[in-house]
Amino acid sequence: MTVLKQLPKGAGRGVAFVVLVLALALAFALAEPRFLTHASLSGIARHMAANGLAALGLTFVVIVRKFDLSIAGVAAFTGMSMGAVIAAGYPLWLAIVVGIMLGAAIGGLSGFAISKAGFPDIVTTIAIGSVCAGMAFLYTGGRSIFQNFFQSGITDLNDARFLGISVSLWFLLLTYGIAWLVMHRTRTGLAFYATGENPTAAHFSGIATRKFIGSAYVICAIFTVLAVLLILAESGNAETNKGANLMMPAYAGVFLGAAIMGGTSVISTFAGILLITMLLDGFSLMGVPYYYSDGVVSLILLLGVIAFSDTIRTWAGGFKLFTSKTKRTGSVSGGQA
Amino acid sequence: MTQPVLTATGISKRFGPVLALRDVAFHVERGEIHALLGINGAGKSTFIKILSGMIQKDTGSIRIAGQEVDLRSPKDSIRAGIATVQQHPELVHDMNGLDNIFLGRESRRPGLFGRVDRKAMQSRAEALLARFSVPLDLAREVGSMAAVEREAVAILQALADDDIKVLILDEPTSTLTDVEREDLFELMNQLRAQGISIIYITHQLEEVFAIADSFSVFRGGTCVARMSVADAKASDVSLATMMLGEAIGDIFPPKADPDSAGEVVLKVSGLASASKFSGISFQARKNEILGIFGLVGSGCEELAKAIFGVEALDRGEIEVNGKAVAPKTPRDALDAGIFLVPGDRRTEGLALDRPAVFNVPMANLRRAAGGGWALRGRSVRADSKSLTEQVALHPPSLSTPASGFSGGNQQKIVLAKGLYTQADVYIFVEPTIGVDIGARAKIYGLMRELSETAAVIVISSDCDEVFGVADRTIAMHKGRQVEPGSGVFNRDALLFAGIMGERKQ
Repeated sequence: MTVLKQLPKGAGRGVAFVVLVLALALAFALAEPRFLTHASLSGIARHMAANGLAALGLTFVVIVRKFDLSIAGVAAFTGMSMGAVIAAGYPLWLAIVVGIMLGAAIGGLSGFAISKAGFPDIVTTIAIGSVCAGMAFLYTGGRSIFQNFFQSGITDLNDARFLGISVSLWFLLLTYGIAWLVMHRTRTGLAFYATGENPTAAHFSGIATRKFIGSAYVICAIFTVLAVLLILAESGNAETNKGANLMMPAYAGVFLGAAIMGGTSVISTFAGILLITMLLDGFSLMGVPYYYSDGVVSLILLLGVIAFSDTIRTWAGGFKLFTSKTKRTGSVSGGQA
Repeated sequence: MTQPVLTATGISKRFGPVLALRDVAFHVERGEIHALLGINGAGKSTFIKILSGMIQKDTGSIRIAGQEVDLRSPKDSIRAGIATVQQHPELVHDMNGLDNIFLGRESRRPGLFGRVDRKAMQSRAEALLARFSVPLDLAREVGSMAAVEREAVAILQALADDDIKVLILDEPTSTLTDVEREDLFELMNQLRAQGISIIYITHQLEEVFAIADSFSVFRGGTCVARMSVADAKASDVSLATMMLGEAIGDIFPPKADPDSAGEVVLKVSGLASASKFSGISFQARKNEILGIFGLVGSGCEELAKAIFGVEALDRGEIEVNGKAVAPKTPRDALDAGIFLVPGDRRTEGLALDRPAVFNVPMANLRRAAGGGWALRGRSVRADSKSLTEQVALHPPSLSTPASGFSGGNQQKIVLAKGLYTQADVYIFVEPTIGVDIGARAKIYGLMRELSETAAVIVISSDCDEVFGVADRTIAMHKGRQVEPGSGVFNRDALLFAGIMGERKQ
């Protein structure tokens, strides 16, 4: 017990996360021996890269206490757009630039409507997402795009390795590293957090809250484009339903991570998305159909949020089921008159 | 005398290592208004929470009209006849007054026969209203009601349950204007006339003499005194001394020497904004605290927000240190060296879920990043520590969320945040609402300290506060500025100017 007390604040949550990952790996390895094979693990790494990028973008939006439900639509439209540029014979880099520009424009539109015009975030992003999902059918009427995909080199994004690890995972680690530095070590990050904590107080503190809310949507859309790019690279074609499977893991990753780590941060999202990707890939390896595994993962998300929420633990503390730690911190405010 | 309606003896309560209440003995007579006094941390909130069933006592006994009661939940307390109106009553703003009263009753009394029908509730609420001559239209939405009307709705909601003998009001006047306060007192008098006892928590000591019959003083977790107001008046005791346990002279710092006023830092002339105020001109200097007294609706809070760039300004000039500025946003104002300690610290001043170390640097992220982009974590921490020490934050914790502090200490965090900006002009709006007397004295002292290096303006609807802390005062009435004819206002002239809008002849 004394050793536990000396650990820095939050260490318990980190330990809980590691235990969860190991327990999950063990459970899957026992249920399905192929889980720990190289092919399976590298699959997890690649899926984690796509899910992780979408979740990282969403993290910015969640930090300013908003929602973005246009992720699936944006992914479908920008994915098909990038496919169309590649199919027309243009180089890969141009397709990526076009995708990012489109994403930034759509995110900018959502951001402007929500932060400047004061539209409700959920309705606005559902509407914009639906319009984008429809626009995804503009190019081919819904048929798959695959022309020029192999010549363009897009599949290398999926296949290439560096030091034995796929480049997409390296890219994920790099973006998370940069995002962590920005969000937790610069004044820009502090301003994002202040905007989310209390927009009025942040405004009174001279923080341009609208700018930060707007840019969160732009960042979210750009990361969605990068995520769908990796999905196109893995499958070797562009289809209108490619983005449909990004939204649930992204939300699950952000909120499960926040529940485990006690707050939304770049690190919490990383933790969440690792768990979610392990779950999804583990289930698909075991041959569980996606419509069941999505349900199970969503259920786990719900249980995770409940298990780690302060309210529940305080409540449970009354029954002496959990550690007395939460009770003691509670008394600090309780002693106030 | 007859048996007291409520008697508590030997009440103790421990939170972990903290003994919050120690052997409290307390009683309230039938049909009296009993004020409960004490600085933050004295234990009165804990005691009230025990009476209202929100937390359970460790030892001791509570009797209602001689019967011992066991209060394990708010429901038990209501059944025993104790109703509580919280400091910030939780009403549904989108529903009308009647539905709010109904809602409170329904949720508190799950009857044997399920839901009581609406018509019965309506006539019941009307009967309730008929007992008190409150000018209150219950068909209106609560969101559109004035603060005092909401308080009345909350009181009626609390009384909607049968046979309430004791009503607890937790700082009901903290958000009311002087006029509204009189209305509330009228309602309280009616309740008393019907035999209901009221336990009344307030930080405003003059209210005790205005409305209460008796009072108890809590200090250090126990009830140190119980007196009738008549005795207190006759013996001329100091409530402040009883609360603090030591004699304090004045809670206001000494006034500045009139000749020592330094250079002009802020100069405004001809400020006007839509229908809120017009023709406002004044100067604020170093070594001098400028006070502006104005009631709610006088436009003085709007004036502060306009100078700070939160609200629009139609006309007029603002100069800081001789340089003209025109703040369009708080950012512009902060860059010009103006800091506003806002009137509503919970929504405008603090990220409540975050600790001091997050809140203190918020208004000057440039400094937090040492002029660059990357945060200087160590220096932010060190600065936050020294500033929270300077404002005497209690408990001196950098990691406790702001919501875990008392009102006075939350205000000290806002103050530390202001100090971190190193502004040239500090504007305080209603600086001591919900702040206990100990913290008030500290905050006034800090204003005096600040005035050595910056211009300090105190804007308040509390005339005694403005007069007590400021060296020079002006009044505002319906958007116009009222200045003394010659020399300075005395207290009565300032009060008259703020309420009547003219100089006393």
